[in-house]
Amino acid sequence: MLKLDGVSYRYAGYATLVLHDIHLTLADGEIVGLVGANESGKSTLCLVACGLAPGSIRGELSGGGLSIDGEPMAGKPLHEFSTRVGIGFQNPATQLSGVTGSVFEEVALGPMNLGLRQRETVERTNEALARLGIEGLAEREPRRLSGGQSQLVVIASLLAMRPSHLVLDEPTAQLDPEGTRLVGEALRGLAASGTAMLIAEHKTDLLDDLCSRVIALDAGRIVADGPAATVLADPKLVGLGVDPPARVRLARALAERGLDPAMAGA
Amino acid sequence: MLVLARGAGVLERLLRASILLSLPIAISVVLVSVFTRAGTTVLFTIGPFDATLEGVEFAAQTLVRLFAISTSIGLFILTTEPRAFVFDLERRGVSPRIAFIAVATIEAVPTLVERAAIIGESQRARGLDTEGGVRARLRGLLPLVGPVIITSLTDVEERSLALESRAFSRPGTRYLLWAMPDRSWERGLRWLLLAALVAAALARITGRL
Repeated sequence: MLKLDGVSYRYAGYATLVLHDIHLTLADGEIVGLVGANESGKSTLCLVACGLAPGSIRGELSGGGLSIDGEPMAGKPLHEFSTRVGIGFQNPATQLSGVTGSVFEEVALGPMNLGLRQRETVERTNEALARLGIEGLAEREPRRLSGGQSQLVVIASLLAMRPSHLVLDEPTAQLDPEGTRLVGEALRGLAASGTAMLIAEHKTDLLDDLCSRVIALDAGRIVADGPAATVLADPKLVGLGVDPPARVRLARALAERGLDPAMAGA
Repeated sequence: MLVLARGAGVLERLLRASILLSLPIAISVVLVSVFTRAGTTVLFTIGPFDATLEGVEFAAQTLVRLFAISTSIGLFILTTEPRAFVFDLERRGVSPRIAFIAVATIEAVPTLVERAAIIGESQRARGLDTEGGVRARLRGLLPLVGPVIITSLTDVEERSLALESRAFSRPGTRYLLWAMPDRSWERGLRWLLLAALVAAALARITGRL
């Protein structure tokens, strides 16, 4: 279980807090969505949840801090986070190491960094590729992949570290519809296999489909936290710059015309 | 060197690259050596400058050395994949961090060129003149360089975060999956070349060469 206990965060050199008193729990196997307008603090929350802020990005963390599986993570070296929580960002191109000649080598880079013997590295790499159904890409050059395929390789690279939690910061933001579909299917597969995930996304249809719980952020504060169906249907979301999923929009359109919203499955 | 290049199938590319790379230096070496080196045998005169036989000999000697250096470097670049080279260095004990920086730097060049082309196109689409005279090109440089540098820095930051999340900063041994094939005759050849280098250096120091 990943837990942020009343955490506030301020970037180095800035006077204002980016996150205010965040209480967040990601239980084992739970999929939590994170929504909010740009600059609402979603990315910072993702960085804090995986230890990169303030571990790698300088800043000041206050409050109860981050704990994973009951263990406080304050002061732990960054490489210790990598086997507990993996993070994926928007742009797949900048997450590929750029130093490997094949997808297999790219996915194997993390286990190699852990100092694992070759046999275990190969085993983990094959397993991660298989979990996302991209074994066929193993020999391909990472630079020659489509955006969606690259993002799958990035997620496979994280899975090869065998973290108990995944944090994904807008994993489909820079993808075309086909790439979004590919990543969406992969995340559905991971969700079914019990991987705990925190997914920050603007595409609420994806969250509606995947998440059991959704958290809404506004100006660095949690303003809604509850079952995905309830939070995503909350009319307040539009005011926060979040588009409701198609299912909710359809239900509203039906209601406006005096029809039964249940026809939309809402 | 040329025999090795022919064996590797890169002779033509090597000659072209070596000549192109050493040409600017070669021209200045020839001009300076031929016309300014003192000598007793004057071949011809241009204005106040005498072209001497000694100057021509010195220029020829320098050009041969320059060509030897440029072909050695060229042959190495044309026949060695940078990624393979640095991973092999790591296998031989060089820090993975240094190896990564070296590879990432080399591999970043095509990406930077690609990005500069994209940014250039988008700036042109917004009316920036980058193909006119020298002044116009200079004016067009800043809107091109700024975004290239800024986006590159952002990319570097994001890539370093992504690598951190894959335990890149973990100290200790890494067991590489891949090793350069290194046959016994290749090892023998390397030792032979090293011995030849030492012998040549000794011969040079003792005045026998």
